Amino acid sequence: MISPSRTPGAATGSGGGPGWGHGLLEEWRSLTRLGAFILITLATAARRYGDSSQVMRPQVLGEIHRSGVRLLPIVGFLGVVLGMVFVGQTVVLMEQFGGGPFTGTLMVTVFLREMAPMIAGLLVLARVGTAAVVELGTARALGEVEALEVLGIDPIHYLVVPRVVGFSAAVVSLTAYLILISLGSGYAFAYARGLKAPPLEFLGQIAGAMSALDFPLLILKTLLFGAFTGWVICYQGLARPMTLGEVGPATTRTVAVCVVGCLMLDALFIGVYLLL
Amino acid sequence: MNTSRSNPALEVESLSVLRPVAGEGVSLQGVDWTVTPGELWVVAGEQGAGKTALLETLAGLIPAGSGRVRVFGRPVAVSGDDDAALRETRRHLGLVFDGNGRLFSALSVVENLLLPVCYHRNCSPSDALDELEPLIRHLQLESLLARTPSSLSRSWARRVALGRSLALKPGLLLLDNPLAGLDAVHLRWWRGFLADALRGHPVLGAQPLALIATADAVRPYLELAPRFALVAGGHWRILDDIEAVLAATGEEGMRHPTQT
Repeated sequence: MISPSRTPGAATGSGGGPGWGHGLLEEWRSLTRLGAFILITLATAARRYGDSSQVMRPQVLGEIHRSGVRLLPIVGFLGVVLGMVFVGQTVVLMEQFGGGPFTGTLMVTVFLREMAPMIAGLLVLARVGTAAVVELGTARALGEVEALEVLGIDPIHYLVVPRVVGFSAAVVSLTAYLILISLGSGYAFAYARGLKAPPLEFLGQIAGAMSALDFPLLILKTLLFGAFTGWVICYQGLARPMTLGEVGPATTRTVAVCVVGCLMLDALFIGVYLLL
Repeated sequence: MNTSRSNPALEVESLSVLRPVAGEGVSLQGVDWTVTPGELWVVAGEQGAGKTALLETLAGLIPAGSGRVRVFGRPVAVSGDDDAALRETRRHLGLVFDGNGRLFSALSVVENLLLPVCYHRNCSPSDALDELEPLIRHLQLESLLARTPSSLSRSWARRVALGRSLALKPGLLLLDNPLAGLDAVHLRWWRGFLADALRGHPVLGAQPLALIATADAVRPYLELAPRFALVAGGHWRILDDIEAVLAATGEEGMRHPTQT
């Protein structure tokens, strides 16, 4: 799947063709190539599970550290701000207008299921994902990926699998962290603005609005956000030969594809929630 | 791996080499070639003649237009057919890229050297370092291990790339213009290394290696008594007449600055 030879204009995306028809066709081709890349990554991860563990374990842990642990401070800060701006204000307003009993449902539907996973995913994309595209794209442009292949090292195994695992683990854990901090700071803000409900009652309202499926669905959703982001990053950075000048456009294209893709995944999950 | 003279290290039949940019056609055709351990082949030709593309095709990085390539009896086919088999084949060949050798910029020098050993043998870095210590000393890289590739001069980066490609003790070594742009000290070292590799140095597995080097100028190789092939005008020719080689590379009557 790591294309061995350069194709003229291959990395420039869909901009080359005249008219909408050509553009749509090119987007469809790009989507099928991304789909194939995802399948190859899954097959490689399954087939080579446990191989070269002395190299792969530090690689995976390094990616988890880079995508997750290092983002804890900024996610903590964002959680505090988001808690005050969104959670706290909403709780206070709901109380003022007599909607207190619906606070839990509102928080679960809007914040836990939708906002927190999306914000965590976008944060990982912005802080780590863009840098990863530049890193991989530069390695591709400088021929380092071919050097890996000549050494008999599978680039999908060595470069892609750790990133996909790292991004998935990061989005799952950062979402949980963001939710906890935001709810805490939101309650503190609302309490300071005159909320009478004690903390346990506030948490009880939220817990009462959740269903048993919320936990596995939230984990699945954030897992898919992270994995999709990782796949797109590696696909844009690695799958096609590129020059150094094409690394920048590949980075912006990655951001666009990830945002659109995560929104589409989100819409899919809204459908699942509605069915349930 | 049996690298005795009876077993060719490389067998090439009716190979046509495609240009690195897909769709730009064939850069070289009609390559029929056999290389045995203990031989040094210098593939001469002008810049852009297709020498690098030839090496990359032999290593399975560029799909062959037609023909067959076998390394120690194993077929070289480009990804899609059988990636695992190709990766296994590649463990028996080393390729040192031109320029700075395409070292992994995110890794230090020592990490570059250890990666293939740790990956393929699933051993810890300290075990791999113990194994590679004689090679590192032979390549005089001891003082550079903590450095990053970007802090190395091109000559030293190329030597690190050589070490990385020798880490798995391949029987066939492909060198893309290894002597280009070297100062006298590095040039002397490389010629000594090539002579050692042809004889079979203990550090290199005590077996004679099969060496293929591309070159814009062949004169620096003459003292190693290599065999020559010429890539010109999209055609492949094996030349036994040294004067013809020198004439083809425009070196007749020239003296290499470091030649004594």
